[in-house]
Amino acid sequence: MSFLVRQIALKASGGEIVRAKRVDGDEMKIGRDGNCGIHLPDLGVDPEAALVTQLDETHIEIESLTNLPFECDGLKVTRKELDVTNGSELVFGSHRIKLGQDPRSRFPTFTVRRETPMAHSSADNDLTDVYTLKGKVPGKRMSAWAFAAMVAIAFLAWPIYSYATYNDLALKKDGVRPAGFHADKMWESGKLSVAHKGLENDCQSCHVEPFVAVRDNACLTCHKQDAHDHIKVANATDRLVQARGEPTGFAGFQRAVGSTFNKPAGRCVECHTEHEGEGAMAATDQKFCTECHDGMKARLPDTKLPDAADFGTSHPQFMPAVITNAAPEKPVVKRIAWTPNAKEFGGLKFTHAQHLSTTNGVAQMVRRRPSEFPEQSGLDCENCHQADPSGTWFKPVVMEESCQTCHSLTFDQVGGTFRTLRHGEPEMVVADLRSFFAGGAPVRPANLGGMARRQPGDSSAAGVAKDYARAVRFYPTQANQAITMLFNKGGACFDCHTIIPGGAATGGYNIQNVAQTQRYLQKGWFTHDRHTKFECVDCHLKAETSNDATDLLIPGLGGKGGCRDCHVGQGGASLASVKQPVESGCAMCHDYHADDGAPWMSRQPASRRASVDRKRNAGSAGTTSR
Amino acid sequence: MATLPHNPDQGDFETAATSKNSTSTSSPKKASRVRRDKVSSHESFLTYGSGRWAKIAIGIFVVSLATYLFIDVEPRHNGGSWYGYTLGTIGLLLILWLTLLGVRKRAITPGRWSLKAWTSAHVYLGLSLIAIGTLHAGFQLGWNVHTLAWALMMLVIVSGLFGIWVYARLPTAMSANRFDAEGAITEKQMIEGLKQLDRQIHDAAQPLDPEAAAVIDKSLEENVFAGSAYARVMNRYPNCRTRAAIADIRKLRNFRPRLEDDPFAKVDTLLSRKEALLAKLRRHLQLKSWLQSWLFIHVPATFALIAALSAHVISVFFYW
Repeated sequence: MSFLVRQIALKASGGEIVRAKRVDGDEMKIGRDGNCGIHLPDLGVDPEAALVTQLDETHIEIESLTNLPFECDGLKVTRKELDVTNGSELVFGSHRIKLGQDPRSRFPTFTVRRETPMAHSSADNDLTDVYTLKGKVPGKRMSAWAFAAMVAIAFLAWPIYSYATYNDLALKKDGVRPAGFHADKMWESGKLSVAHKGLENDCQSCHVEPFVAVRDNACLTCHKQDAHDHIKVANATDRLVQARGEPTGFAGFQRAVGSTFNKPAGRCVECHTEHEGEGAMAATDQKFCTECHDGMKARLPDTKLPDAADFGTSHPQFMPAVITNAAPEKPVVKRIAWTPNAKEFGGLKFTHAQHLSTTNGVAQMVRRRPSEFPEQSGLDCENCHQADPSGTWFKPVVMEESCQTCHSLTFDQVGGTFRTLRHGEPEMVVADLRSFFAGGAPVRPANLGGMARRQPGDSSAAGVAKDYARAVRFYPTQANQAITMLFNKGGACFDCHTIIPGGAATGGYNIQNVAQTQRYLQKGWFTHDRHTKFECVDCHLKAETSNDATDLLIPGLGGKGGCRDCHVGQGGASLASVKQPVESGCAMCHDYHADDGAPWMSRQPASRRASVDRKRNAGSAGTTSR
Repeated sequence: MATLPHNPDQGDFETAATSKNSTSTSSPKKASRVRRDKVSSHESFLTYGSGRWAKIAIGIFVVSLATYLFIDVEPRHNGGSWYGYTLGTIGLLLILWLTLLGVRKRAITPGRWSLKAWTSAHVYLGLSLIAIGTLHAGFQLGWNVHTLAWALMMLVIVSGLFGIWVYARLPTAMSANRFDAEGAITEKQMIEGLKQLDRQIHDAAQPLDPEAAAVIDKSLEENVFAGSAYARVMNRYPNCRTRAAIADIRKLRNFRPRLEDDPFAKVDTLLSRKEALLAKLRRHLQLKSWLQSWLFIHVPATFALIAALSAHVISVFFYW
């Protein structure tokens, strides 16, 4: 018996080469060894892998020689009896052997074919792109579209959806979105200021309509009461725009661009820029004021306001509101231009210089009373002028608290009690005096009595008697005389007050009303609180020389003791010329939405103000010290 | 300024990374080879026109920085001031123009605006975007779409910088890798050499016992191009079957007598040669992957940037 072995190899061109051989005998080996009947040059096959034995004409048995299984018709076996007429398939390593029977010789045939190449490199691979990263990483085109789509969906479509979902909450004061993430927050360019922190999650409260810049009605949804109008006239906006004038040059170009892009001029947000980061809103920059007020007369001829620009260089003189006549029930107050010799008529007589002296009788009186004026060599300002609780202004000077300690109104002593005239009530003063004199002559000294103890000798008694006689002689024996003295030169009232004619109840005399001004500069803000490191007379220079109460002692804009001694305006140009320059923009003293309180900038706590200042000063040449 | 090393195999501008031919296994046309090593008139896009675009970019840097410092924007610089809008518009148009390099390089056109000039401008104007974009933002960054656009822009610029660096440095290393005592080998020759070695190993391994044969077979079955992108970029193949086969064969051989015509010795030698070839091939793959990898970031990031820019611009006008 024999076996027919046909080994098929592939040509490079694709055709097949068939090499047939006949192996004689009843047995034949399959293996990698060259001596095997079926030689498989296959490293996956053992040198002698299996033995083929012919059982009869149509049956063969295949048995593994290594106990390792081989594949026969899809099954792993170590031994198999096969009917060659059925045409089975064997797999050894990379080789597939097809079984059959030669129709002529009836010998079993083995058709051997290599299924997989002997090495990966010898396979007919497509080598075009093997040296590139193709297939190793996502393609450029694919990932470009994918990333672009992801970004567009996450950062464009989603926020727009968020906007659309909650748009009906716009322009409603209490319209807030539920807590949690809203996609349009990803559009936020910076945190809102502290004042608007509550709106942080509600974009729609200001951004009402898409592609429409924030309008004032959004602001006024909440700011109904506290947005004090800058000017309180009917056509305020027109006047504001007129005051601003038509911008020219680059500003005009900016205005044109703004209009083109639907950003009209004159909205709240033009000054109140938001999304500048957490913290307080930045104080209004000077240029927002000077845009209108610098040279406003030319644009707004009927305005009563003088032109104003930088404080250091072009601020009009102060116009303090002073009392021109204190006599009427309601004192006449008038704003006058400050001059070094300006007068105010408050109704009092007072000599600042005399009272502040350290060498005269006043000073001596102070020094004699160390329990009341400890370690003082004369009067100090604060002995009379006391700051109000806010520290901004001074309380009105009250006679009983400030003057009476020296300017005593005592006229009688009963036991240990001193009787005083009632200040502020001339009728009671007159009545008290009349009552006093109705009681008769001065008390007769005790030692003039016969039984009283006295110093030995007559001279002493004579002295007392003489004194008493003189007292009786000079004692106003009539109340009218005392009243006349009181209200005339040398009298207690006349010293300080302006005496005017009065009715019978006051002996024909009366005291003119007295008024004191608490706030001279009504349109600007000044606080003593922030100036405590200076002496009063550093600014109120004339207090040391003035002996006339009508002298206006508040400092002016410039000159010695004036504000410009330190406050040099905003910007570096003039900063170098004074000893302690303080950069002072308009907002330090003025408020756009002015009310009676401090301007917004000065209302900030000191720490906040310092940081605003730092930001503002960053980059400017001058340095400030406060 | 660094110059791209000239590659004698390539045309004037093409590099190994951009040439289609260099990655194919077809034979190079020998007739068209021109030796330009000796007298090179090559001018890199980095030095094009005596650095014309570099100077322009420096000019943009200086001007934008100076204007940023001297123009007083209240309360502070940001994209919403007139200055910010100006820089933003310039930056946006510049980005769109830079992206057009992808269109331009596909259009072969003669004329003054050579691709080299265009590339030079692309590189330097792209760098100047660092100043334009950052000053546009006024250094205000946060977690929002605006900063996303800025970050993507920076990613594109940095990846581009990396690309320039590899284009400037790696071709030299690539040539050095391909040259040895026997001269240079091409990519095709590497594969042919591998095939030949595999055949020889296969034949030499025939007498080996099943255990050793199985070890060799693993090496033969290994696809040397199969490694992941990471393996390529890092040139790390910890599971290299050929190296494992060498180790195993030597282990097996240790306990065998040394014979005159030892198939183990033959296989060992062949495997070592294969390993050396593989090292060269893999180094080549690494260098090529570096030359190409940056574009896989540069291009998709550019398109993500354009999407983010659109969102950035639309969001600004949407919430105007």
